[in-house]
Amino acid sequence: MTGLRARPSRWPLLLGLTVLAASALFPVYFMLSNAFRTQIDWANSKVGLPTVASLDAFRRAWTGASIDTYFRNSVVVSAATVLLSVALASMAGYSLSKLRWRFQRPTFFFLLAWMAIPPLLLMVPIYVEMVDLGLIDTYWSVVFLYTALNLPFNVYLMTAYFRSLPDELLEAARIDGAGVHQIFGRILVPLARPALATLCIFNFLWAWNEFVFALLLLQSDSVRTLTVGVLALQGRFTTDYPALMAGLLITSLPVIGVYLVFQRHLVRAIAAGAVK
Amino acid sequence: MGLHNFRILLDDPIFRTALRNNLLFAISVPIQVVVPLLLAYLLHERIPGWRFFRATFFLPAVFATVVVGVVAQFVLQLDGPLNELLGTIGLDSLERNWLASATTSIPAILLVVVWANFGYSVLIYLAGMASLDPELGEAARIDGAGPWKTLLYVYVPNLRRVMELVLVVNTVTAFAYMFTYVFVITNGAPGFDTYVTEFYVYNQAFTFNNMGYASAIGLVMTALVAVIGFFQIRILTAGRE
Repeated sequence: MTGLRARPSRWPLLLGLTVLAASALFPVYFMLSNAFRTQIDWANSKVGLPTVASLDAFRRAWTGASIDTYFRNSVVVSAATVLLSVALASMAGYSLSKLRWRFQRPTFFFLLAWMAIPPLLLMVPIYVEMVDLGLIDTYWSVVFLYTALNLPFNVYLMTAYFRSLPDELLEAARIDGAGVHQIFGRILVPLARPALATLCIFNFLWAWNEFVFALLLLQSDSVRTLTVGVLALQGRFTTDYPALMAGLLITSLPVIGVYLVFQRHLVRAIAAGAVK
Repeated sequence: MGLHNFRILLDDPIFRTALRNNLLFAISVPIQVVVPLLLAYLLHERIPGWRFFRATFFLPAVFATVVVGVVAQFVLQLDGPLNELLGTIGLDSLERNWLASATTSIPAILLVVVWANFGYSVLIYLAGMASLDPELGEAARIDGAGPWKTLLYVYVPNLRRVMELVLVVNTVTAFAYMFTYVFVITNGAPGFDTYVTEFYVYNQAFTFNNMGYASAIGLVMTALVAVIGFFQIRILTAGRE
């Protein structure tokens, strides 16, 4: 037990880790304190303690800069993406792990290969395709795209999870007269709750934070999501800095909250991608 | 017709600048492979406060890139917190607008990207270390190896696959996920100096309306990323069997 735990030499290490942790917390402090300061405070220094004890900056962002609309759009897009992703990935995972069909292995490998293609470099074809499909400037454009982009990883995760469940379970259900669909709905889905929770968290964070395709595909104010909409608070000539900070904080709070509450699930998603 | 766009690409100075910047951002890759490995090892060895550190280290990866970008842009301004900090600790001579020229803004953005993503790599390494047989580390310790030797000779060889994953993920990031950082932090300025290839694809397609040319750039970069990924895996797996 004479590892890093007991040595005096660990103090510099601890100091380094603490500085790093402080830097990770800094943006929260920066946004939070500046949302409760004035334009004049900001002009004097960008770092300081709150001086204004009102939520006025949040109000200016929320109603004055349409953050309320963007927030609603982000909720709709993220929720739809999560629902569609979970539905497709769990069914695909079931079929790839517990059923037998022709071209099953090639299909699985095709999906895995898909993970390697960086979507950002395909901006143009994706944009043109969305225009052709008439989906541009609708929620569906990003919902379908987000679902498609993460489908390989999601399916991989569900396939791995279902594979780890014993076949005898399904065999017993089949003898009792359960069909392919009943086995899925009554037995596998309830058992897969932890994996499904992991999928929900991962896809929610991803969809909520996505920027490039939201910028490209959602061009009207009425459908624009938060990550793109919040930038409008940074005016071309004048910027209401406290309102901008409030807007950034509103963008961040849901993901920070979800992360803090469901940390365990997120770690599991990353571990599943890393170890298998 | 057909190959015309690819011929223009070869002589396009903006594409060259953009590609050079992607290559410069790839300097972040070795940092992203080594530093998170050391951090993960400290957490794996249960350094005091490891739970707190594990939770906070992933926080930058939870923020939207847009949020990271806007905050970073303020931090790096002439009257931003970074310069205030430098002034406070007596390094006034270093104060500058970090985003005024590519010489300082490229390294600055690089550090922002490292900071924003290191938590992912730490978690990937932690998962890898947790999946190893705990007796490996114990055995090395009984044989008298110190913590750093244990890391180098016991953990590193056994974590090869995980290190590969971290390497490939971060290389792809340097070549294909820089758009939002550049868009928010410098918007390519000054001039075209901080362009990266995806940013150029975006501008050619949606500002200058050259969809064909933008597609050509996108295609070349997709091929390049695929080739780099392929060779990285080949090189790393070469000595294995």
